[in-house]
Amino acid sequence: MNLEELEKSVNLMEDIQEIENLQRIYAYYFDLQMWEDIIDLFSDDAESVEIVDHGLFLGKEGVKKMYWGWIGKGIRSANQPWIQFIITQIGGVVDISPDGKTAWGRWQTWLCEAKPFGAFPKQEWLHGYYENKYVKENGKWLFSKLHWNNTFCSPFEDGWLKTPLMGLMNYHPTVKPDAPPTAFYPYPSGYHLPYHYNHPITEK
Amino acid sequence: MATLEELQARITRLDDIKQVEKLQRIYGYYLDYFEYQKVVDLFSDNCESVEVADFGVYRGKAGVKRFYLDLLGGKPPRVGELSIGMIMQGVVDIDPDGRTAKGRWYCMSIEAKPTISLHEGELRQLWGNGIYENEYVKENGKWLFKKVFYFLNFRTPYEDGWLKVPVIGQHGSSSEVPPDAPPTNYAPYPSGIHLQPHYKHPITGK
Amino acid sequence: MMNLEDLEKQVIRMEDIQEIENLQRRYGYYFDTRNFQAIVDMFSDSADSADLESFGLFRGKEGIRRLYLDDIGRGGRPRYPSESWISTVIFQIGGVVNLDPSGVAARGRWQTWLAETFLYGGVPRQYWVHGYYENEYVKERGKWFFKKLFWNVTFFTMFETGWLTQPLVGLLPMANPDGPPTAFYPYPSGYQFPYHYNHPITGE
Repeated sequence: MNLEELEKSVNLMEDIQEIENLQRIYAYYFDLQMWEDIIDLFSDDAESVEIVDHGLFLGKEGVKKMYWGWIGKGIRSANQPWIQFIITQIGGVVDISPDGKTAWGRWQTWLCEAKPFGAFPKQEWLHGYYENKYVKENGKWLFSKLHWNNTFCSPFEDGWLKTPLMGLMNYHPTVKPDAPPTAFYPYPSGYHLPYHYNHPITEK
Repeated sequence: MATLEELQARITRLDDIKQVEKLQRIYGYYLDYFEYQKVVDLFSDNCESVEVADFGVYRGKAGVKRFYLDLLGGKPPRVGELSIGMIMQGVVDIDPDGRTAKGRWYCMSIEAKPTISLHEGELRQLWGNGIYENEYVKENGKWLFKKVFYFLNFRTPYEDGWLKVPVIGQHGSSSEVPPDAPPTNYAPYPSGIHLQPHYKHPITGK
Repeated sequence: MMNLEDLEKQVIRMEDIQEIENLQRRYGYYFDTRNFQAIVDMFSDSADSADLESFGLFRGKEGIRRLYLDDIGRGGRPRYPSESWISTVIFQIGGVVNLDPSGVAARGRWQTWLAETFLYGGVPRQYWVHGYYENEYVKERGKWFFKKLFWNVTFFTMFETGWLTQPLVGLLPMANPDGPPTAFYPYPSGYQFPYHYNHPITGE
């Protein structure tokens, strides 16, 4: 290999490392309910964000609506101390496009949450998969599209077999999505969130 | 200062680590969806074996096929069956020749599976935990599995926990799809037996 | 295009990050296999401190030895077979590692999830534990070591009860630290364990 090719190799590895870090930093901000910081991790030309069955939110405006309006309830960081988000980021498979400008990542997440459900505070186990898209702008990687596909959302007292889905979260009185969720099929539907990648060996 | 050749070798090594991590994670995602043929296609044709919990040792590519396709995939997944393996904390070491590698991983499982047998019976929700010590091989520029070894730590009902019920639903080797050899190291909690790492201490070298 | 020297610097940086990630993961595995001497050997001789949960602050390499060998490792006393049920599984998840420009110092934020079992008040119990690390690393003689380990616990609950119902089982038996814990404010305090890094996009 010559110097140019080696440089490309190293740049590719640095890109992967940076995207893995970006994903983890996102999660740490989420845990601390720092919604504005999350919004700043998205490109101004962001495509969309979709989380559980809240619906599809388009563009940077949609990202703001989702994190600040809906999830954050317009509150700057952990204002209600007993509300807990812990999103562990596990198993990232990151693929960079040949032109080095966009990337895809599949992750899984395991959550232990405490938040209100209706009138009651609940402790919850959640699981979900991401298929996210990233874009490189001015030498930095940002989120272009975030799609968190929920497997189950179960009360701690019950477990996923007993109560796979605590209830629907598809309505907000003032924050409206641009479209209904594209793929909300939680356990036990048997739904498989499609992979962004082909089989590494057979390439199918 | 390093030469171009030395840098190339070091870059290759870094890339190999990332490729092996990726392979391991892709393996996990296929298993989550019961896609056993895709899992089998991640193994080298010259692979050594697969050994999971107390199922026993299945040797070579033929054994790997029997384990994933005939045993685990013996029946299509039922409605409500769930087996999510969250594979994490990989420590991957590439051997000096750059052709083989070893990896240690933790796995935390979220399951809804029958426990009276592998395929039949009422579904129970289970927490599982175990350690992988796997081996990988590089063929034609691609990394594949050479050997999968999963050491079960606990597999407990959601309602009980590992202290009360450390292991449920493990019935030893199958008589319908028997292994090539009995399990080599099945010692779940609370045996106190730990699966030692493949690597030496990074500082002392012990 | 880069020259050889710059390329080498980039490669060293990538190798450093990989080595630090592995160091942190190995820590987890050594802890679980109860190889506490191996842990002590991964700390620099000029280690700063270890600050764990409610145990307190342990200073210098001497403090590290006291914590891991005398306290947690119970003075090297061998375990009876009847004690084999006492165990930890610590998952090291989601590391964000940043290298200092000097190239010989680094910081890492991780989260940990634990499945733990030990006696508390004479009763064997099983626990779910969550915590964050903000650790410091130092490069000496070409190898990376722990300089400072800071494990901040979010909750320490029993398997049967959950973090909302019972965020903290109680205070752990006192070891002999050099000082009180610097920041033991478990859930639901709302305490936000500070990041070592700035926002990757806004730089704030």
